[in-house]
Amino acid sequence: MNFFAALPVLLGLAFAAQSAQSPFGNLDAKPAKKPAAVSYLFPEQVTVAADKPVALDLHFKVGDGLHVNSHQPHGEGLVPTTLSLPDQNGVRLAKVTFPPGTDFAFPIDPKEKLSVYTGEFVVHAQLVAAKGDHLLQATLRYQACNSNTCMPPHEIPVAIDVIAK
Amino acid sequence: MKRNAIVLSVVIFVIGLLSVAGWANWQNRRQVAAALSAKQSEATLVADSATMGHMTSPLVGRAAPNFTLTTLSGKKVSLTDYKGKAVQLNFWATWCAPCKIETPWLIELEKQYSPQGFEILGVSFDDLDKDDAKLLAKDKSEIAKGVEQLKIPYPVLLDGDSIAKAYGDTDVYPTSYFIDKSGTVVAASFGLTSKSDLEDNIRKAIGEGK
Repeated sequence: MNFFAALPVLLGLAFAAQSAQSPFGNLDAKPAKKPAAVSYLFPEQVTVAADKPVALDLHFKVGDGLHVNSHQPHGEGLVPTTLSLPDQNGVRLAKVTFPPGTDFAFPIDPKEKLSVYTGEFVVHAQLVAAKGDHLLQATLRYQACNSNTCMPPHEIPVAIDVIAK
Repeated sequence: MKRNAIVLSVVIFVIGLLSVAGWANWQNRRQVAAALSAKQSEATLVADSATMGHMTSPLVGRAAPNFTLTTLSGKKVSLTDYKGKAVQLNFWATWCAPCKIETPWLIELEKQYSPQGFEILGVSFDDLDKDDAKLLAKDKSEIAKGVEQLKIPYPVLLDGDSIAKAYGDTDVYPTSYFIDKSGTVVAASFGLTSKSDLEDNIRKAIGEGK
């Protein structure tokens, strides 16, 4: 191969290598964003009968070692897990049923029982959708703790593509 | 001959450029690793850690950041008002179950150590709807209710979020900073610890502990 023909390629590679990692590189590399304590698992898309109440199971997962208050926590002032859907054209959340919580006590105070969700939990929703495609944009609000510490109440989006036929 | 010299020069140039890129890459990775390592040595809290109560904070050994916050009754309180006192800043919220467990201990400990110049300042991290007077009044009322239920005798300051950054943005509750009489943070605790751990830290703040 003629060297001069390969020269532009060599120079290109050299400059690409140089610019790929500047010596003044990104020293302010931001640490990874803290993962949410609860993640929405599925469904991402459902096909339902239009204008009729349809049951939908929404699956969530609480992070390992964490718990969130159930929908009906024991004790005043505790933040319940709730699901809300802002008014949006074409989809209505007719009813939401939360699972019962399980008892949890902080090791240092075993007598004080809380009602919590851990691991996976399923929220049963009933919705009514008008004919067409709708992006359901609901919100799950919860407040998470581990065995000795709590984090502030938090909201995660619950997005489902609802195809009503 | 001339052509060979050009070829050699270009090859040396390309190799040199690649070497510089490699060196820069290595330097950058080293610096990023050092920066991340420094960050990790701070009080980075992991959600499922079971040992938060024993973690430390980069604030320990430094002057406690000053602040001015308002009590439920509207009185302005600054940390500098407590100059010469040993102070425990207790970050809590009405929705925080472990905070409710430790509060009776704090009340007892403040009573026990107040003759030695020890005081507690509760700092509420409950959300405040500052843009809506009606909701703000409701928020304050909820906090007041929590204070009453827990029978908290020490001042409870509102809007902890406004000082969170200065205190490391830990975002976990309860969190306490123990400040000695010279205004230096001598200990910090994250999460629910035992009463004796709290007492050890209070003793450090009043100058009796190790």
